[in-house]
Amino acid sequence: MFGKAVSYGLLWDFAVSESVGESQRWILSAMQSHGQELVTMLWRILGNEQDACDAYQDTFLQLAHYEGGRKPEHIKAYIFRVANNVAISMLRRRIAEKKRVSTAVVARKDVSSPAKELDSKYLQETLRCCIARLPEHLRNVITLRDLAGLSYAQIGRILGISAATARVYRCKAIQLLTVWMGKEEKDNEKYKYE
Amino acid sequence: MKSINTNSKCRRIRAWLYEAVSSRFGADADWVKKHIVNCPRCRRRLDLVGKVNLALSIVKSQPHKLDLLMRANTQTIGVLKHSLRRAPKARKLRTMLPEPKLLERWGKYRCSAANLAACIAILFLMKIGVFSSMNEFQTRGQKVIRQYYTSQVGEDLADEVFAKDTQRPSSANSRGVFTA
Repeated sequence: MFGKAVSYGLLWDFAVSESVGESQRWILSAMQSHGQELVTMLWRILGNEQDACDAYQDTFLQLAHYEGGRKPEHIKAYIFRVANNVAISMLRRRIAEKKRVSTAVVARKDVSSPAKELDSKYLQETLRCCIARLPEHLRNVITLRDLAGLSYAQIGRILGISAATARVYRCKAIQLLTVWMGKEEKDNEKYKYE
Repeated sequence: MKSINTNSKCRRIRAWLYEAVSSRFGADADWVKKHIVNCPRCRRRLDLVGKVNLALSIVKSQPHKLDLLMRANTQTIGVLKHSLRRAPKARKLRTMLPEPKLLERWGKYRCSAANLAACIAILFLMKIGVFSSMNEFQTRGQKVIRQYYTSQVGEDLADEVFAKDTQRPSSANSRGVFTA
């Protein structure tokens, strides 16, 4: 009797999960229509292919489990915001890990060489560190505009702000990045003369 | 209608203002350039802005492997529900490669499209020109013939013959035959 009940329960669970699966076909459609832009953005934020794949997977898993499998009203906005947050969390974790692993002296020695300063990889990493430090509203705009290549109108729709506000936020973000990158450069120069 | 006109006027004024402000106070203005040449602080600041822009361009210009989208899709579909994994669309996504956008794809035809549009515009203008000159010839011809009639049969009769369009002369009967 008990065994029969268990098997019925399992059958019911299977049927429910199948029907939910059938109704979640929109996830595949979202992947088809926004996947390319999303992968490009994640690659540019993270600069590592495996990390980009992981962030992509996390994004769509969160989408699949959004309010018990319900379809969000604005899928594109949801996907881009989640992907952005996931990527920045990964980036921060990576930066923290790097700081912990490499001692300060080694890192500084590495940076102070003039050849390295011109190195594009060093520039990219510095920029990524600075972007990860930005406040959320500025960071969202800079990643969507400069790394995902979206227009201000699209960014406004995704973040729920006007295109003009997005423009102002980007300007502020660039100012902050300028100051922070300048500071890093100054620190390096200071170390060089010490 | 009035609001549309006001909106377009506002837009035009905004564009003019932007142009005026950027030409006088933009980074390309002469007095700004002169100041930058003599001010090390501003030079450094501009240098840093350039550095940020350079870093952004480098990040954007780094290519990823062609199969990144395919791999990301495969990895993601692998953790989705069984029914989604079996869907025909999933199979397609697993082998999906990045495609250029529609604008980029048709971008190479931009020049040809512009040339075609210019040719059509020229043809249209030519057609308008030909028709307007034909109209002019017709009016002039009518004038000449009227003048001839005026000199030959008198102004009153010429007026009746060349009355507007198909208006029948007052001296004609119901069949259109002139009576004495």
